[in-house]
Amino acid sequence: METLSDKPNKIKVVFQPSGKSALVAPGTLVLDAAVQAGVPLDTPCGGQGRCGRCLVRVESGNVFRPQNPHLTAKQVDEGWILSCITQVVGELVVTVPLPKEREKIVVQTAATRKAAAVRCEFPRLPAVRRVYLELPRPSLEDNAGDLERLKRALANTQGIKDVDVVLPIMRTLSRTLREADWKVTITLDTHDKGGVPRLIDVQAGEKKGQLWGAAIDIGTTNVWVDLVDLISGRSAGRASMLNRQVPRGEDVISRIIYSQRDGGLDELRQLVLSAINDLVAELAVGSKIDAREIQSMVVAGNTTMAHFFLGMPARTIREEPYVPGAIFFPVYTAAELGIKINPYASVYTVPAVAAYVGGDISAGAISSCIFRSDKLTLFLDVGTNGEIVMGGADWMTTCACSAGPAFEGAGMRFGVRAAKGAIEDVTINTSTLEPTIRVIGDAEPVGICGSGLISALAEMLLTGVVDRSGRMNVARLQEKARNGKSRARVGDHGVEYVLAWAGETSIGEDIVLTEVDINNLIRTKAAIYAGIAVMARNVGVPLENVEEVLIGGSFGQHINVEKAIQIGLLPDLPWDRFKFLGNTSLSGAYNILMSKHARAQVEEVVGKMTYFELVADASFMDEFTAAMFLPHTEMNRFPSVAALLGDRHESSGTP
Amino acid sequence: MAPLEAPVEKWTGKIRELKLGSGGRKTITVGGGTTLPFVKFEGAQPHRPAIAIEVQDKEPTDWSEFLVSAWGDALKNPGAWAKKAAEFGADLLYIRLASAHPEASNTGAAQAKKSASEVLSAVDLPVIFVGPDVAEKDNEVLVAVSDVAKGQRVGLGNCVEKNYKTIAATCMADGHVAIAKTPIEINLAKQLNILLSDVGLSPDSILMDPTTGALGYGLEYTYSVMERLRLAALMGDGMTSMPMICTAGEESWRQKESKATLDVPQAWGDNQERSLIWENVTAISLLAAGADILVLRHPKTVVTVKAALDKSF
Amino acid sequence: MALTGIEIYKYLPKTNCKKCNFPTCLAFAMKVAARVVDITACPDLSAQSKAALESAGRPPIRLVKFGGDTHKVEVGNETVMFRHEKTFYHPPAIMVRIKDTASKEDIAKLVDEVGGYQVERVGMKLTMDGFAVENASKDQARFLEAVETVLAKSGLAVALMSDNPATMDAAVAKAAARKPVVYAATKENWSGMADIAKKHSCPLVVRDSSGLENLVALSEKVAQAGIEDIILDPGVDSFKSSIDSLTEIRRLALKKNFRPLGFPVMTFPGVQAKTTEEEAALAAEQISKYSSVVVLEHFSPALAYPLLTLRLNIYTDPQKPIQMAAGIYEVGAPKPDSPLCITTNFSLTYFSVAGEIEASGVPSWLLICDTEGLSVLTAWAAGKFDAERIAKAVKQFNVADKISHKSIVLPGKVAVLRGELEEELSGWKVLVGPMEAMDVGGYFKKTWKP
Repeated sequence: METLSDKPNKIKVVFQPSGKSALVAPGTLVLDAAVQAGVPLDTPCGGQGRCGRCLVRVESGNVFRPQNPHLTAKQVDEGWILSCITQVVGELVVTVPLPKEREKIVVQTAATRKAAAVRCEFPRLPAVRRVYLELPRPSLEDNAGDLERLKRALANTQGIKDVDVVLPIMRTLSRTLREADWKVTITLDTHDKGGVPRLIDVQAGEKKGQLWGAAIDIGTTNVWVDLVDLISGRSAGRASMLNRQVPRGEDVISRIIYSQRDGGLDELRQLVLSAINDLVAELAVGSKIDAREIQSMVVAGNTTMAHFFLGMPARTIREEPYVPGAIFFPVYTAAELGIKINPYASVYTVPAVAAYVGGDISAGAISSCIFRSDKLTLFLDVGTNGEIVMGGADWMTTCACSAGPAFEGAGMRFGVRAAKGAIEDVTINTSTLEPTIRVIGDAEPVGICGSGLISALAEMLLTGVVDRSGRMNVARLQEKARNGKSRARVGDHGVEYVLAWAGETSIGEDIVLTEVDINNLIRTKAAIYAGIAVMARNVGVPLENVEEVLIGGSFGQHINVEKAIQIGLLPDLPWDRFKFLGNTSLSGAYNILMSKHARAQVEEVVGKMTYFELVADASFMDEFTAAMFLPHTEMNRFPSVAALLGDRHESSGTP
Repeated sequence: MAPLEAPVEKWTGKIRELKLGSGGRKTITVGGGTTLPFVKFEGAQPHRPAIAIEVQDKEPTDWSEFLVSAWGDALKNPGAWAKKAAEFGADLLYIRLASAHPEASNTGAAQAKKSASEVLSAVDLPVIFVGPDVAEKDNEVLVAVSDVAKGQRVGLGNCVEKNYKTIAATCMADGHVAIAKTPIEINLAKQLNILLSDVGLSPDSILMDPTTGALGYGLEYTYSVMERLRLAALMGDGMTSMPMICTAGEESWRQKESKATLDVPQAWGDNQERSLIWENVTAISLLAAGADILVLRHPKTVVTVKAALDKSF
Repeated sequence: MALTGIEIYKYLPKTNCKKCNFPTCLAFAMKVAARVVDITACPDLSAQSKAALESAGRPPIRLVKFGGDTHKVEVGNETVMFRHEKTFYHPPAIMVRIKDTASKEDIAKLVDEVGGYQVERVGMKLTMDGFAVENASKDQARFLEAVETVLAKSGLAVALMSDNPATMDAAVAKAAARKPVVYAATKENWSGMADIAKKHSCPLVVRDSSGLENLVALSEKVAQAGIEDIILDPGVDSFKSSIDSLTEIRRLALKKNFRPLGFPVMTFPGVQAKTTEEEAALAAEQISKYSSVVVLEHFSPALAYPLLTLRLNIYTDPQKPIQMAAGIYEVGAPKPDSPLCITTNFSLTYFSVAGEIEASGVPSWLLICDTEGLSVLTAWAAGKFDAERIAKAVKQFNVADKISHKSIVLPGKVAVLRGELEEELSGWKVLVGPMEAMDVGGYFKKTWKP
């Protein structure tokens, strides 16, 4: 690496493509040279090396550059530097990228911080299988009954000794066999452990091609369906829609209360059923199949959703001592449940761990592969609520924190879901306190989504817009007012910070973040962090020993780890320990659909997980209050943030 | 036999020393401890805890007859009250500007200046002034007092999480000490210290009021929060190492055990004896938990607690 | 040192067999670490693991029991220096000294007074624990007579105080059914006293005020003589050394696992006191800091009530969430037309709401509903903050008598309760307050109308 030298002479720095240049002393920041040369470079963060947007590429010459996380090794090799922290050493020619190119690089860098999803592999062994049989025609010598004939062939060719046949198929079996000239493809369902396989479908001739199954994730907010070919394991399509129960209450508690009304439970059951059936139908049309060709289904959802899906009362989930109607759910047929696929197909509901750690988390523990890990692993599922699993192959503990849906934008003044028009990233200039925003889909903003909220709060903290308790420094913001317009003001909902002026938005009003929003965000992040901390403490392992953090849930896709650490949502661990897995509940359901080994595994995992009731944990409120600060009351737990804030307080933990 | 090795903890931190009083006024220093309260075998407590007596700028209307008879007419005038408190052995005074409360006389800056001047000229003891604990009024009267007491390093309070900036600023400008009051909770106490430091107030000019629960009324919560704050400070946490002030008198005399004189259960015993012991026991156990300044109300409690401290050092 | 859950887990069979009635081995290990359940509840523990765990789990301070069937006392077996670290388990016995030099009538009167003393606090009946009968006269007959009076008139525990082994033997024989504390073995008489304690299986106090080293030496001798139930009297009767010495003893026991000091401690706070206040002060300090048997020189209800209350406070389990007593609170000095708000009894919820109301300058009534220490949303989620409970609180605390309007402000987070609450509280208006306590000032100023 180049080092600083003390040449007395001025050095020429040329900026391409304009060719403008400046003569500067050695040690001058490239950014300052650019200003001198009259080449404006964007510095949304105010030249703090924080936003990564003032990048230029060195064509020739020497520079001194400190390490910075905003450039990947590859980008460094290509000559990219952050001009705000890089010093001129010798004659220099640099190229200033076009804004479009620049944003591409910024986004790429962010993407590399999200390591590829882990997918857990199981030997392929779906619970349904298809068997082609050619039966000998009956004769006077061989006058076995039709069913016995079929069974005999099964025993001879497949080693299957017995099979159950549902009555409607029984009634048509003779005719079908004869019409098919004794050449049939049958579908066997082996969902019942150790039991006799069930014959659930008989078709004429030899059927090749796909055998269909569906994996379902019933989220409190969204319902997802994955249509899967059980033979290849390929997904033919995924679809989702808002859980139709949402108008009956946004969170599980409201829905449980609703379910206690007359007819409430049945209504909720019908609502989620219709959502699943519509999504299945939609995917079937997309794949040009009849939904009745779907032969197997696995459903994962939180404990309350599972109860509603099965039409079971959920009231006891809510009341102390928080006991669900069941943890393991029996297997039912689609017809019994009202699912519109092959009526005789089995529907497997993924077992829960406890009242507030449901089958979605059990499924996540499978798809995240935490149960196989020999590393101390933390698995987080952040959705409408936050659930945590800690451990690995040896042991696992789990708990649920009532975080609330702030990161889904709910309850926030201008909160929106992560979709086109959502502000997903905010940078605030350290000296002007002016924000720069990035909007999903390059559109005019309509609101701010979870990742935007996290980055906004982190930037507000780093630039001193808010103090560590999340209160805005109104006086300071008003000093920085531009053209008489201050970013801070007192609105109807208290103090607020304007992220985008009405004229810049597509909703025609200022998009603001209020102190109440910030408080809400802090509470949500505090609940999640406190849950993690209490769990680590209860088990007796230091949080910094966590070797891998797996993040599931809709939230995981867009979040910026760096910013999430800065606000104290995630523990301050090296970034490469974080991995994003997307919808782990749905992929867990997929795993189980595709493999009976995965199903056996989930049942083992559920028995192995040790559940903590945070409400009953005395240290939770303590940890929670400690976490109700930015990033945390104990700064020594967030050394990287302390360094950024230039923390001047010596601080060790409080006992 | 072999001499017993004292089980000494190797503390890395210490309680900050805090000085009150300056500019011709007597000074008192509290804090500075390098050990747990009264544990002598492993460190020093260079300054013994101090006893403050509470004085109000208007005659209290709801005080127990035992307090009223102990103070007599002095209650009617803050200057006279302050003087008598000094005679009763106070190390410093804790002046509550109660008249500024909107529901009391709703007095403002002018009255606060007048009361403060009276107290300051009546005694040469170090003084702490607290407002009526209503944000706007606190800011008004404390800024006024700060000006009157400029250069005399008085305490000004209460800074709370929702209202600390004005008081902190005036403390910085006039060289005073801020009282940082938080609900009984260790994290909130530390957070307020950080917020005050972040606006530029020196950590050596902060006195923590962790909120006192009287005997039978949350004493154990205060007790444990204080012990935890002390331990954190000794373990090197610079944001919990400010000295602590406890309003033991006010809290204990508010309770029915100290107020009731009619229909008192027989098992409660003599009213006056019990009231005094109630304040006394509250004070002593908070000393054991780490109080650096105790604010008391009854002169006899002052005598008992001071006698205990005399023996302890 | 106490083991953590994960350390205990390593010794367990890891079969998750559920025979211990916990769902997993780890869950069981955590409960063992928290002392909720004993390690022996695991039927499949190997002998080796069992031995390892038991030695790690042996209490560093011995549990000592005394007193008869009518009043049993257990002291010691503490595991922490500070109550917040876990809890203090065994509250100190509070006893009163009776000298046999007093007249029989005076003794009888005092025994009646102390023995019959009972005060109620938060639904608990607090009593004294017993008497330390002292052979101040040095006369055996007189001592035995005093002991008889005490035994006859009260069922509380007794400690017998005499330096003379022969006298002690006679007295202990009389009081044997009460399992008295034998006070005290000194470096002069320890051997005789140890014999007596052993003969009657009574706890023995070892006393040496000349320094901990000598106390240790004495404790070791007595232990070697076969006495297991020892109580230490380091002779701290002044503020001068009380916390210092008692901290040293407990720290050596807990942190260094130093067996000769791993016993409960007995103190006499009133010996040097000139007034009851002074005695109360040192007693308060010793209840707070590490005394297990506190012997008072005086008794009066006005002294007993505060000390028993302090003992209750210090020995309350700090792991339970801090709760406010349910009831109607005044924030500022509210008038009948001031706003009435309701919230839960979790202390931080109360503090934040009361603090915001206070800061708003609008005096208000704040009704605290018993939600078992849960905050608003958690309590609502768990069904502990519903219309029924709120209505009950309104009625129970006669709220309507205090205010001139009939409207109550609900926390914004539980706005859904409004309809139901209006049904439960007929004639009341239910207002929905702000979502956050922070907004309460603005709400009062802009929105609130009774």
